[in-house]
Amino acid sequence: MSAVETTAAAVEMEHVESHLHPEPTFALEAHPAPTGREEIWRFTPLKRLRGLLEDVVADAHLEQKLELPEGVTLTQISLDEANALGGTAPFDRLGALAAKNAGTAHLLDIAAEAELSSPVWVHLHGTSVDDIVSGRVVVRVGNHAKAVVLVEHTGSTTYNGFTTVLVGDGAQLDLVHVNDWADDAVHAEQINARVGRDATLRQFEFTLGGDLVRTSTNVDYAGPGGSAELFGLYFADAGQHFEHRLFVDHNAPKTKSHVVYKGALQGQKAHTVWIGNVLIRKVAEGIETYEENRNLVLTEGCQADSVPNLEIETGEIDGAGHASAVGRFDDEQLFYLRSRGVSEAEARKLVVRGFFDDLIRKVEVPELAEKLSAQVEEELQRHVLAELD
Amino acid sequence: MAFARACALSDVPTDEALAVTVDRYDVAIARDGDEVYALQDLCSHASVSLSEGEVADCTIECWLHGSTFDLRTGKPTGLPATEPVATFPVEVRDGDVFVDVETTLNGVTPA
Repeated sequence: MSAVETTAAAVEMEHVESHLHPEPTFALEAHPAPTGREEIWRFTPLKRLRGLLEDVVADAHLEQKLELPEGVTLTQISLDEANALGGTAPFDRLGALAAKNAGTAHLLDIAAEAELSSPVWVHLHGTSVDDIVSGRVVVRVGNHAKAVVLVEHTGSTTYNGFTTVLVGDGAQLDLVHVNDWADDAVHAEQINARVGRDATLRQFEFTLGGDLVRTSTNVDYAGPGGSAELFGLYFADAGQHFEHRLFVDHNAPKTKSHVVYKGALQGQKAHTVWIGNVLIRKVAEGIETYEENRNLVLTEGCQADSVPNLEIETGEIDGAGHASAVGRFDDEQLFYLRSRGVSEAEARKLVVRGFFDDLIRKVEVPELAEKLSAQVEEELQRHVLAELD
Repeated sequence: MAFARACALSDVPTDEALAVTVDRYDVAIARDGDEVYALQDLCSHASVSLSEGEVADCTIECWLHGSTFDLRTGKPTGLPATEPVATFPVEVRDGDVFVDVETTLNGVTPA
């Protein structure tokens, strides 16, 4: 073996077998239909995906409303062109199907060095649950640009999306997904992001409505110094299944990742799933990662699954950790508030608000933060507070 | 909706359940001697088809983790399952099995 080969093998630049993830590829035959017992599918009620796992080309679309500030263009490109732009291929069958059957892809291009004066606002609205909609989106942020992109989902649909996010060197992107579907919507989404050298990606997911929402966010790095902050908030009602899967592949040195997901559950058969995977490759020296998931179970009959995983191939790192908790209302907190003359309903509201507030405040779009706070309270009214009336 | 035909009685084996689809539910039809029972074909623990497991002593076993459910009540008689599965009313008419999936016998809402 030559010196180059030995070094390459030692730092595992090419490929590392991750125990948690199948091979990323666009080839559908490499992602067979799941039985439901595979590690990546075992939490998902497959029947409720309503045929999203079948290879059907459908012509349906979501209604689209856009606000594009200067420096941003949205163009339609072919699926092959979209794949050629780069980013990681789909990790599972849903992603591969979306990439194959979407018809065309949308490229949201933010020019290099642009500093957007206002957020890019994309509103996608579904009109019928009978339509199976596939979506393919590429968000490309040029080097040293600074942008906020908001994607809002509403309405009823059966939607499968595959989104590639390419953050250029030194760029800063805040990407916000609000999944506020109607109660009968089914939504699967795979977001594969590649963070450039010294770039920062901050991604937010707010999942508040839908019958079944399963998203998987996969991040890797195009160079050293990149940082990914992934934040999520979910509030599951009776019968809803919300699943968020995160995978951060530290494939470059001096990179950072920070994941915080918080959820609340209420009502019979509310089910949430959070999977947080981190892979630290041999080459990824000096990295820092922390993952955290906290769940507040507000009523009986809910189930919150939380699985943090770390695969560490080098010890030469700054820090790696994770935390996970599933709990109910803290009696002491409620008692304290009651002892100060705060009503039971108000006390519960305050506790939940306090639980979510730090996440909501991280969204630097005030009107959205306000709307989200109001929505959380509205959700509470439906169950926890309704019980007290 | 009232009773709908699920299968012929002779199709139901004695040591396993038969998977049928009635309306929008997958149902496992099982028998203990001459009695016929219908349960939702889904383990309340890990969403596995109960019909793929064995039936003995008026219980059905989930093959994946070994939880057993009483055919009469749908209640688990062995861990890891802790929640009952829905049981449906059954009628045998002239050698055919009829199931009513709109009402459950044990009050469990089908998943």
